[in-house]
Amino acid sequence: MAPTETTKAKEEPAKTTKPRTLADMADSIDLATFDQILEMDEEGEHDFSQGIVYGFFEQAENTFTQMEIALKETNLGELSSLGHFLKGSSATIGLTKVKDACEKIQHYGAGKDETGNNDEPDLEVTLDKIKKTLETAKRDYKEVEASLREYFGDAAEPASSS
Amino acid sequence: MFLDGRLSAVSLDEKHAKAPRPTPPTLSSIFRLTPIPTIVLDPSMTIVEVSDSHLALSGKSRDSLLHASIGDVEPAAIPAPNLPTLYGALRAACSTREVQLVKEAVSPGKAPDSLRVTPIFDESALIYLVLEAHRVTEGSAHNQHGYLNETYKILVDTVKDYAIFMLDPHGNIATWNPGASLLKGYTAEEIIGKHFSVFYGPEDRATGKPSKALAVSMREGRMEDEGWRYRRDGSRFWANVLITPIHQFGQHVGFVKVTRDLTERKEAEARMIAAFEESSRLKTDFLANISHEIRTPMNGMQMAMTMLADTGLTPQQREHAAIIEDSMSVLLQIVNDVLDYSKLSSGAFSLHTDVLDVNDLVGAVIRNCRSSLKEGVDLTADVAPGFPSRLRGDPLRYRQVLHNLVSNAVKFTEDGHIRISASCRPDDQDPTCYIVKTAVADTGIGVPDNAINTLFTPFSRFAHSPTRQYQGTGLGLSICQSLAELMDGAVGYAPNPEGRGSVFWFTAKMGGPSTASSPKTGSSAGAPPARHIADEMRTIAPHKHVLLVEDNMVNHMVMLKLLHSLGFERVDSAWNGEEAVTMIKKKPLSYDVVLMDVAMPVMDGVKATEQVREMGLQMPIIALTGNAMQGDAESYVAQGMNDCIGKPVQREHLLNTLWKWTGT
Repeated sequence: MAPTETTKAKEEPAKTTKPRTLADMADSIDLATFDQILEMDEEGEHDFSQGIVYGFFEQAENTFTQMEIALKETNLGELSSLGHFLKGSSATIGLTKVKDACEKIQHYGAGKDETGNNDEPDLEVTLDKIKKTLETAKRDYKEVEASLREYFGDAAEPASSS
Repeated sequence: MFLDGRLSAVSLDEKHAKAPRPTPPTLSSIFRLTPIPTIVLDPSMTIVEVSDSHLALSGKSRDSLLHASIGDVEPAAIPAPNLPTLYGALRAACSTREVQLVKEAVSPGKAPDSLRVTPIFDESALIYLVLEAHRVTEGSAHNQHGYLNETYKILVDTVKDYAIFMLDPHGNIATWNPGASLLKGYTAEEIIGKHFSVFYGPEDRATGKPSKALAVSMREGRMEDEGWRYRRDGSRFWANVLITPIHQFGQHVGFVKVTRDLTERKEAEARMIAAFEESSRLKTDFLANISHEIRTPMNGMQMAMTMLADTGLTPQQREHAAIIEDSMSVLLQIVNDVLDYSKLSSGAFSLHTDVLDVNDLVGAVIRNCRSSLKEGVDLTADVAPGFPSRLRGDPLRYRQVLHNLVSNAVKFTEDGHIRISASCRPDDQDPTCYIVKTAVADTGIGVPDNAINTLFTPFSRFAHSPTRQYQGTGLGLSICQSLAELMDGAVGYAPNPEGRGSVFWFTAKMGGPSTASSPKTGSSAGAPPARHIADEMRTIAPHKHVLLVEDNMVNHMVMLKLLHSLGFERVDSAWNGEEAVTMIKKKPLSYDVVLMDVAMPVMDGVKATEQVREMGLQMPIIALTGNAMQGDAESYVAQGMNDCIGKPVQREHLLNTLWKWTGT
């Protein structure tokens, strides 16, 4: 809290020990959160974390498909709750970019602006924003998916990557 | 003063000199024969003349009155209400040299009289006092009722916005002005003679507020009050009331009452307060959102900087990188400070009481700050022997204040030492509580005299050194002060008695160890509190039955794993609120704690909590939520949950929260 912690960041050793491959993803993954997942693994393997992450991939792809359908049907309530759903799991793994996009979809679907604080009365505007945000979310997801598959492919046994 | 004889001799001589006619009526016959009942006193208050008319009025003989002291005459015969009043009037007449009027002097069986006291001065010497009785007729009594002279009467009658009126000593209304008619709706004819308690509401009347108001006014010389008062038509208004007792010649004769209608001002105040609260809330929300938005990319930058520093930089590049990193830390700190400050100033900050060990916390702060110590500076702690190892308080906030004071000391101390000392004494008011005083003494640059008064003022900083720049927002001490006050304590500063540097201290009120009836003994001093809790948790967790309610498979798996890693072995799973309620119904007393997602299909967490509480079950229910604003947490708590954990769930936070609800 005091403005004296200037040297603290330098002292934290955890960050310097991370594999380079993870550091490369620092802009789309919250490493502290992701580390927590990795720490749940048994010594020397990545079974648990890989299972969780690959489970998330499946979940994300399904959710994106459901979002496409809901968007076609202009089912805003469904979009909002799908956004919230995927926000939860992406946050748990630490996929910040995907999480942020999902949060926006959650807010748009609830008839709000991207912060969730103000109403957005125009349905057309809302649908347009959801469409764009969904594209961003999928793009960000693809990117981070590729990095993570590469990470687990490198670090553990070759994964059944697509 | 003159003697009697001499006075009369002088006056006789003068009369003879000025009146040469043979049978002139002497001027002194005026007082003997005047139709106004009159007594003449000399400076020693002895009666030297009394008129025939006075003898007729009082029924006394001249012999009995002449040469008697006025004090020996019964007051009713003078006529005066009583001796003190009479003396008051005489004294006032002598000292002011002005005519005095004694009101409401009642002669037995007759209409009220007033007594007029006229002092006669020759240069500075008092030679006589003339007392005349005036019969007051019915009409003039009403018109004059007053010590109000004409000017004041006009003034009071002109005021339309204030009700100004008089009460007699018993509280009955005696006068009425147009302002009073407008404000209260009564005409003078209806209200005069009634008791002023008609303006009060039934509750106030029942508690005797009107008579208390008069009593306070008598005791203190005035009484001011704000409250609801009622009009003739039963409507009420918010009134400011001022009651002042009126005395005359030492005798209490009534009260002046001034009433103002403050309804509009009160409404305006309420509007302003509402507007202020709204804007304060918006500000807090905005700051909370924006700080999150700033912190996220900054964390990324910080991490990238750490990576960059490892890529084999040249010494100069390394130096630049260090500057960027330092600046980022400062920036992050500022964002955090501003967020804390805005939360504190809006009152949105709350304490989380837990078991804490001051020894552990002091140790943790020392470990944390040691890395920033300048070379040659010694950092030590001295916790008083016999300090209770387990107190109840907010460990996080205690640590935050201590950390801030210590890191300030570290920042401003170039050589010498920094000493942390903690002591503890029972609270005088509450024997179950302790006052913990923690002081940080350093041999640093100290505080200049002119900065002492603004030390704890937000955004004020004094340390501007030409050779070295100390960075900061100037919020740190102000946050400490607010946090200490939140913990029912205080902060303070004193120059270091050793001659150089400062001593900053703070106090916090904490619950005694008896309230934490735990069989576990305190940990060895110096162990990190987190590990200490983790160890203790591991011993009790296997015996605790947890229900995890979470619809998202990914989160569910992670939570299960986290719970296992903390030592929990009996964890049941539900995938929505309805399932959870069904499971709890089957085994109502089985679960020690429920971890409940908020947004879920079929039945959400808030609804499920409601149903659990309706069954009369009080086990801790902890919300898991993606909306981690302070206000959300409080609203979940208001809806029956006990606590709230934000997503993504951090292991430490989960541990501390579970320890808090299942650990003791």
